[in-house]
Amino acid sequence: MSTMGPGSAGAPRVESLNCPNCGASLTLRSRANAITAVCESCHSVLDARDPKLKVLQTFAAKASEDPPLIPMGSRGAIRGTEYEAIGFQRRTIEVEGIHYSWHEYVLFNPAKGFRYLTEYDGHWNDVSILRSLPDLSPGGATLAYLHETYRHFQTADAVTSFVLGEFPWRVRVGEMVHVSDYVSPPRVISSEGTGNEVTWSIGEYLSGGDLWKAFKLEGEPPPPIGVYENQPSPMSANVTVVWVTAAVLLMMLVPLMVLFFSTARDEQVLEQTYQFDTSSREEASFVTDIFPLKGHTSDVELATSANVNNSWIYLNYALINEDTGQAYDFGREVSYYHGVDSDGSWSEGSSTDTVTVPSVPPGNYYLRIEPESDPNRGIITYTVRMKRDVPQASFFGLAALALLVPACLITWRSLTFEHLRWAESDYGSPPSDTFLGTVQGMVDSAKKSGDDE
Amino acid sequence: MIRSLFLIYGLAVLALLSFAEYRGWSLDRVNQVPNVPKSVRDNPGSYRSVYGFYHHYTGGK
Amino acid sequence: MTQPTANCPNCGAKITFRWSGSVQTTCDYCKSVLVRTDVDLKKIGQIADLPPDASPIRIGTEGVYRQRGFVAIGRILYAYDQGSWNEWHLMMNDGASGWLSDAQLDYAVTFAAAESKLPRECRVGQQYAWDGQTYTVSTITKAHFSGVEGELPFQYWDKSDVVFVDLMSHDTRFATIDYSEDPPLLFVGEAVEFDSLKLKNLRSFEGWE
Repeated sequence: MSTMGPGSAGAPRVESLNCPNCGASLTLRSRANAITAVCESCHSVLDARDPKLKVLQTFAAKASEDPPLIPMGSRGAIRGTEYEAIGFQRRTIEVEGIHYSWHEYVLFNPAKGFRYLTEYDGHWNDVSILRSLPDLSPGGATLAYLHETYRHFQTADAVTSFVLGEFPWRVRVGEMVHVSDYVSPPRVISSEGTGNEVTWSIGEYLSGGDLWKAFKLEGEPPPPIGVYENQPSPMSANVTVVWVTAAVLLMMLVPLMVLFFSTARDEQVLEQTYQFDTSSREEASFVTDIFPLKGHTSDVELATSANVNNSWIYLNYALINEDTGQAYDFGREVSYYHGVDSDGSWSEGSSTDTVTVPSVPPGNYYLRIEPESDPNRGIITYTVRMKRDVPQASFFGLAALALLVPACLITWRSLTFEHLRWAESDYGSPPSDTFLGTVQGMVDSAKKSGDDE
Repeated sequence: MIRSLFLIYGLAVLALLSFAEYRGWSLDRVNQVPNVPKSVRDNPGSYRSVYGFYHHYTGGK
Repeated sequence: MTQPTANCPNCGAKITFRWSGSVQTTCDYCKSVLVRTDVDLKKIGQIADLPPDASPIRIGTEGVYRQRGFVAIGRILYAYDQGSWNEWHLMMNDGASGWLSDAQLDYAVTFAAAESKLPRECRVGQQYAWDGQTYTVSTITKAHFSGVEGELPFQYWDKSDVVFVDLMSHDTRFATIDYSEDPPLLFVGEAVEFDSLKLKNLRSFEGWE
């Protein structure tokens, strides 16, 4: 049952008033919630709680000096609730003589209250006031909130440099407030105020595209420039995962190696020593006896060793399948040179050469050998050794590389991203107690020692 | 997303590695010549290697 | 629960009390502030129309807090140099009395807590522990009431400035020390989101669904 009498408190209509400075009409969209309002025409800052809208500040600057990208009065849905943009301000900080400004929008819903949008260089954040206190670490380098650690990013004194619309708090152009940001991408926790009188807020990174859709704005959002303090990294979340996966895959190489090395036949099928008379004018080519290559299709390793001493021998090999006529044709050189000069003794080449013939099907084979060398250099003795189904270690090395390269690339991309992020902070580089910070530190010291050289 | 992609890629690398090891692939360049006649066993000189030149290092040190 | 009725001593309109503990109420018709004595209602003052305010809650709004249903039966409107806020007096389903504050659409539900050792003075940043929870002073406000409406559990008519101390904690627990009486009063509860209260029978706003 109701004891409603005729009319409860306040009229539900939006108040329409007149600016006491220029007479222009003014709408208070948030009604009695508005504490400060700015006249659109003459840009005077007015006390919204005064029924006559007392003038607090007046300016020569035009209200159109810094037009908000989201027009006042626009409505859009954020997290399922409809909000209206009612206020806009620009705040400026000075870092090493350079001014940086960002914009803030006040969003209003008559039941759910206020939210804020911040925009800097095309990076947007959805901000709301915290109703509980974060845990600051002693020293203030980090804080904890809802089981998440945030790192201090920047502290500066922010000056309100431009205002438009209405605000649920006291606003004056020229007002300065101490602001600190702590980031845990995609979130950021900010403190605003001095000493103990601090208001905490939390922001979450938003894409301009999503906002433009939510507010049904025309055109395109401003393109983001650089990396913003709490911009989520497309790569860094993956770095740990990728390295863990790489480690697991690399470990799987071990049993694979054991498997292949133990199951390979590694069977010697030929070992013969021959003599090549470089003075002979006869046909040098000859064929070996037929030998079987057993098992499934696999490789054949052919090792040639020759007693060349400051000379060379070149062997034209053809591994021929007696039944199918399929030949594997290749040439190998064995050369070895050595001597002594002003730098000491030197040597070049080797007296052994090894080649692996790939994917040779099983069958009966023989080898056709045709040696070559400089003429009239005496007799060269050489030994030919053939093994069937030899495991190859080099492929494991290649596989390991193939696994490491993407992990390194992803880490590199993430490093670059984080470097760009933290370059904008008070510190200039990623904090040293993170993995990326440690790697960054190593990279930087390597660069420095490179420069020193 | 990246994790699954990398896992699939890594498993593909391992699969390729296993196949290469099993089938005896090699990084060495070898040329295949089909249909060598059986007469080569009696007359090895009749087989002319298509790649019958030698790349011999003629310089000194 | 029986709802006693009486007549407004000023204009004769029917006054119904939703809550047995109400000490004070207002007459919807003639805006008189009435105090309940054992026998009848006594007029102690008159309030003009409440100043314009934008709270979506009104007398009769129903909701739920931590599975306890409630209905808003009264309110106090406070004003200070930088704004104003509402303290809505809630009658819980179990008969208890609670408060729902609406400060620029930030909501908190608190209940009177018995606490003997309350500081005479506070500074922002100081910490206190009650009932095993730690609270930190977040704001100190000097406010005066600028309007009352409906049923309240105490007699409240003083227009002079009173100090209110708000405290926050590391979770959403919230507390207020009200220095309008001596010894001061402590209210303990938590900050709540609008949606969690599942409020019904709210005020409607032109231009919003």
